[in-house]
This record gives sequence, structure tokens and C-alpha cells, in this order.
Amino acid sequence: MNFVSYFAATAEPSNDLFGALGIDWRLLIIQIVAFLILVFLLGKFVYPWLMKSVDERQENIEAAAKAAVKAQEAASESQEETAKVLAQARKEADEIVSSAKLEASEMLSNSEKKARATAENIAAEARADIEKSIETAKRELHNEALELIAFATEKVIHKKLDKKADAELIAAALEEAK
Amino acid sequence: MAKLSRRAIAQYIARELSDDAHRKKAVLQLAAYLVDTRRTKELPLVVRDIEYYLSESGSVSGVVTTAFDLTAETKKAMEKYVKQQTGAKDVTLDHIVDPAVLGGLKVTIPGHQLDATVKRNLTILKTQFKKI
Repeated sequence: MNFVSYFAATAEPSNDLFGALGIDWRLLIIQIVAFLILVFLLGKFVYPWLMKSVDERQENIEAAAKAAVKAQEAASESQEETAKVLAQARKEADEIVSSAKLEASEMLSNSEKKARATAENIAAEARADIEKSIETAKRELHNEALELIAFATEKVIHKKLDKKADAELIAAALEEAK
Repeated sequence: MAKLSRRAIAQYIARELSDDAHRKKAVLQLAAYLVDTRRTKELPLVVRDIEYYLSESGSVSGVVTTAFDLTAETKKAMEKYVKQQTGAKDVTLDHIVDPAVLGGLKVTIPGHQLDATVKRNLTILKTQFKKI
């Protein structure tokens, strides 16, 4: 800028239009040349790199956007699939629960039947045992009664039967045996 | 000496016993034979067989068991009963008094027995009506 200031300082003041406007045309040319050089340099070295960088960035952004869209779609699909799986799982769970309830009910029913049958069998066996015991007791009582009757009769006859009665008994027996 | 059968012995002795003259001799012969042949254990069976053959020839001997002594009338009734049952001409009854029979009588003759004792009736009561 010292160079530019130098030219500006050494330039003679002019009385034309540029001078009237306060514009130094030489300085303007220099600035234009400098600007063009800058533009050239920027276009040659900076813009391509910048544009490349921007393009890459844009591509990255687009790729990210695409990936985001894909991810969203995938997420959406996944959500739907999850919903389906969940629905299926819920349905299967409901079926399992209902089947388990049914099985439990059947098992309970079967258990009740078995328990009832077992109880009836036990009761029947107990009744049979009791009846058997009663029958045995009756039989034993009957036999013991017979023994007692025979024993008592024997004792009574032994004391009461005399020779005369025995003779009558013998006569009756012989008469019956004829 | 060949071993005689019990049947042959019984027939021979029964025949001999029918004759009063040979009765005593027949008994001695039987006793001697059984001792000699070591068959004394067969004596009860031989006697039973002899009684059987005697009964066939019209001479029946038996045993009467009662709880009391018998009157003459009862004895006659018994002999009459035995004659009716066997058709024998001559009946000889040995009498045994056994209070265990309680009452009634038991007549045992060859091939036949009448047990009308009170003891037997009581036994029947106990056994026949007994529930098993």
C-alpha cells in the first residue's frame, strides 16, 4: 500500500472529470490491475480448492441427507416391522395365554376328576372293608354263640339228664332210626 | 411160610368161631399166628374183618355206648334194632358207659353205625351251622 500511496502522492492533480470527482485514474488502474491479479490468483488457486471443498461438503451433506432419508426409511420400515413383530408376538402371546388357560383348566378338571375318582375308590374300599369286618364280626359272633349254646346245653344236660330220661331218649332215637 | 392175607385170616377165624367147639382154639390160633408173624398191629383190623364175616353169617357183634347203664328193656330194644338192620339171627352187644356222650346212644356194628348221642348232636350244632 505504500507503493499505491506513493503513486497517489506523486500524481499531479488533474482538472478533468476524475479529478473533479476525486478519483485518481492511475490509482484506479493500479487497483483494477491488482484486483484482476487477485481475481486471477483466487480463480487459479483458491476457488478450485474452495469449490472442491464446497462440492465435497455438498456431496457429504447430500450423502448424509440421503443416508438420513434411508435411515429414516429404514427406521420407518423397522418401526413397521417392529410393530408387526410386536403385533404378531402379542397375538402369539394371547394365543399362548389362552391355550395355557385352557390347558390349565383341563388339567384342573382332570385333576378334579382323578381326585374325585380316587376319593370314591378310597371310600368304596373303606366301605368294603367295613362290610367285610362287620361280616367277619357277625360270623365270629354267630360261631361263638353256637359254641356257647353247645357248651351251655352240654352243661345243662349233664346235670339234668337222668337215667330215666336217657332211656326215653334212647327209645326215641331207636324209633327214629327204624 | 407164605404170608396170609388179612381177609383169609378173618374168613378162617370167623368160620371157626361159628362152631362153639373150635371157638377157643381159633382165638388162640389167631393170637399165635399174629405174634409169630409179627403182625399184632393188624389185630384191630383183623377183628373188624372177623366181625364183618360173622355178620354175613348171621352173627353180629357190636358195641353200644351210652351215658348211663341200660335197662333190660332198652337192651332188648337195641338188639331188636340191630336184628332189623342186619337181618342177623344172633346179636351180641358189648356195652360201654361213657358219660362224655351226655345222653342217647351210639351203636357200632360191622358196616353200620348209629350215633344218636347228645354229644354228637351238639357237635353237629357247632359244626354244621358254623359259618366259615
